[in-house]
Amino acid sequence: MDRRTFVKQTLGASIAFGAFMKTGSVFGAFADNPLPYDLVAIRGGEPGAMFDAGIKALGGMKSFVKKGDKVVVKPNIGWDVSPERAGNTNPQLVARIIEHCFEAGAKQVSVVDHTCDQWQRCYSNSGIQKAASETGARVVPGASASYYHDVEVPHGKSLTSTQEHEVILDADVFINVPVLKNHSGPKLTMAMKNLMGNVWDREYWHRTDLDQCIADFATYRKPTLNILDAYYVMKQNGPRGISVGDLVEMKSQVISTDIVAIDVAGAKLFGIDPFSVRYLKTAAEMKIGRADLENLRIKRITI
Amino acid sequence: MTGFPILRNFNRRAIDRADHFNGLNEPNKLTRQFWKKIKQVRVVAALVFFGAFTLLFLDAWHLVPLSIARTLTSFQLIPSLLKVSMVGGTVSAIGVMFVVLMTLTLGRVYCSTICPLGILQDLMIRIARKLNRRKRFKYSKAPQWLHYSVLALSALLLLLGSSMLIGDLLEPFSSFGRIVNTFALPAIVLSNNAASDLLARFGIYFLYNVPLHLEGVGALSLGLLFFATIGYMSMTEGRLFCNTFCPAGAILSLLTRVSLFKLAINKGACNDCGACDKVCKAQCIDSKSKEIDFSACVGCFNCLRSCPEEAIQYERRTLPAAQPVRVEFSQGRRDFFRNVTVPAATLLVAPGLVQGGSVLSGGTKPITPPGSLGIRHFTSVCTACHLCVTSCPTGVLRPSFMEYGLAGMFQPKMDYSVNYCNYDCVICGEVCPTGAITPLDMQTKKLVQIGKSTFNKDDCVVVSKKKDCAACSEHCPTKAVHTVPYENGLLLPEIDNELCIGCGACEHACPVTPKKAITVVSNSVHLKAKKPEVDKVKKPAVPAAGGEDFPF
Repeated sequence: MDRRTFVKQTLGASIAFGAFMKTGSVFGAFADNPLPYDLVAIRGGEPGAMFDAGIKALGGMKSFVKKGDKVVVKPNIGWDVSPERAGNTNPQLVARIIEHCFEAGAKQVSVVDHTCDQWQRCYSNSGIQKAASETGARVVPGASASYYHDVEVPHGKSLTSTQEHEVILDADVFINVPVLKNHSGPKLTMAMKNLMGNVWDREYWHRTDLDQCIADFATYRKPTLNILDAYYVMKQNGPRGISVGDLVEMKSQVISTDIVAIDVAGAKLFGIDPFSVRYLKTAAEMKIGRADLENLRIKRITI
Repeated sequence: MTGFPILRNFNRRAIDRADHFNGLNEPNKLTRQFWKKIKQVRVVAALVFFGAFTLLFLDAWHLVPLSIARTLTSFQLIPSLLKVSMVGGTVSAIGVMFVVLMTLTLGRVYCSTICPLGILQDLMIRIARKLNRRKRFKYSKAPQWLHYSVLALSALLLLLGSSMLIGDLLEPFSSFGRIVNTFALPAIVLSNNAASDLLARFGIYFLYNVPLHLEGVGALSLGLLFFATIGYMSMTEGRLFCNTFCPAGAILSLLTRVSLFKLAINKGACNDCGACDKVCKAQCIDSKSKEIDFSACVGCFNCLRSCPEEAIQYERRTLPAAQPVRVEFSQGRRDFFRNVTVPAATLLVAPGLVQGGSVLSGGTKPITPPGSLGIRHFTSVCTACHLCVTSCPTGVLRPSFMEYGLAGMFQPKMDYSVNYCNYDCVICGEVCPTGAITPLDMQTKKLVQIGKSTFNKDDCVVVSKKKDCAACSEHCPTKAVHTVPYENGLLLPEIDNELCIGCGACEHACPVTPKKAITVVSNSVHLKAKKPEVDKVKKPAVPAAGGEDFPF
């Protein structure tokens, strides 16, 4: 039995379940225990403190992580840049999320990304490797095709199949932790765009129809939770940035289970029309999530 | 007395040695024990160096600190000589001085301790001995004229601007590096990846997959040919390569002529057993005439250990050694060199006389790494040891085959189909032992333009498919590649080549197949790019659409 067969068989049940759901499955959600808010926005504090306040408003990490769960935290670790350049997710935020997961009883927390620059330099210079290992998380490499396994995207239009990292396939809880940034192509990178780091062949997305593929992959399996880091926000020269001169200190954070709602909120924080972001408009039209923030239950916290 | 031959011998030796040392004191007991153990000391040193260099060339995990790599390679004679003469370097200068002083004191000990290709040959000789227990060496005059001609020709080519002979073909450290890099590294990487895949099944990611790179058929066959040749030579004729083709061996051989101490046979003490002759890998001991050609001796100390009479010793000679009378040498071997090797070498070298790079026929020129100044400097100094290839974190540095022309065979080039040059990285210049890639500080490196981007708009996804892409611009570290508004709110790549450093991130990321829409063209001579400046973003007032502090 080769490795691919092994993983397929092991994960077969969850993949089949994913294909069964109307707009794709969701990672472990508690339908019998509805959340008090659809979206929580926090500003004015340090990344860790903002998360403490935000997750508390949603009933704590226990609302998402059950005892014994295997959790994957997926920050943006795309670039070989230091934390003050905000090309990657804030490492303090990543550390705090991991701590909350363990406090909620997680058996294992893994941190992974398919980086753009050389992966070890990204992991190390982003400060995320240190943040993750100090808080007891497992740092998983993502720079080899052998870690990725074919998955179907039944509701995709341009993207009908792709390959996802095995630790994400194997996870009970998937926490998506993007950083809000300008992007030279699709204008903004936030929660939906961050999921490009889950897959191996991104070139296919780029050469086919990037915006449609981003929306398509959001139908595949919705993250248990999305946490948008907007502490420092790269306003120009994204997504890699040239210097700290590209950033503004926004000291904000948004938390939501709805990947479309969080991106709409992110675009508004950034200061542009959410529907000028093509993939976001597409996702809203495909009803992957809610774009009508005015009708959502939003908790706003200022620290 | 006749009943005690040992005693008799001892007495005879004592008398002879006293005579031999011209009134010098006979070495005391401790000194004698040291010389008896010298071979073990030599073997330990050899294995330490050999192991260290092998690990260095196998280090696809980048675990060996750069300072250790630099210190180790500084002892390599020709790379360090090149580095000192081309770009300077204190560590390399110290390494060269150490080797020269060691040789001026004890001869070519270098060849049997520090030189990894020498030790590799010793290992093959050992294998040959295991296969054929009766394998014996026999004195054979070293083809000195050929050896020094090779050195002279190498030096001449170097002056003409090609390190081809000295490096790409014959330099022992570089040849060793290529052998490890071409044959051993892929095997290690494959085993690692198999093990890491197996562990990953159990959720253990302690090991991780390392990209596997294989050489092309051409480089692979030539590598095999070289390996087979040196293997055959060593298994049949010992260290013949070191005394025929090795330019480092030739330099050291010249130095031994004025060495302070030389190995010699105490004629009086010698009992004509011929044991030394049979174990001499350099085939430089003529036991019949009891002379040692010390210029060909590689300092392995096999003879010291083999001699039952302790008749071979280091001897201080203030006068130049008398040239041993050589009557017995292999005429066949000599003819072989004269009739086959020399014409072949001439044929091979003649096109190499053309300077590196100019052999290239019109097409695309290879891109050389930052710090290499341009194709000319790079190809004239690089010895193709491939240490930068192993050390490059992204793997963008790959061995070339004939892209630089014959004169630049095997020398590394930037291969953007594999990866791109990491913006915040100067490792290749740090590890390069020859100065072909000069060390750069980080700020300088970020402004070195090794090539320029060219954009073929019609092939771009944004134009051909009217879809967003921006793979090139998102990867660009200087924003030389950025996007500007195009039709329907799409953003189209645009290049500012003043900012471009030629790192290849755009080319590598471009998803268009089979021909990329954005490619980097080599700068034959590296240029300086403009420093990317940003207009500092003004802190915006967050719009308060939903009241409070939030725009929603």
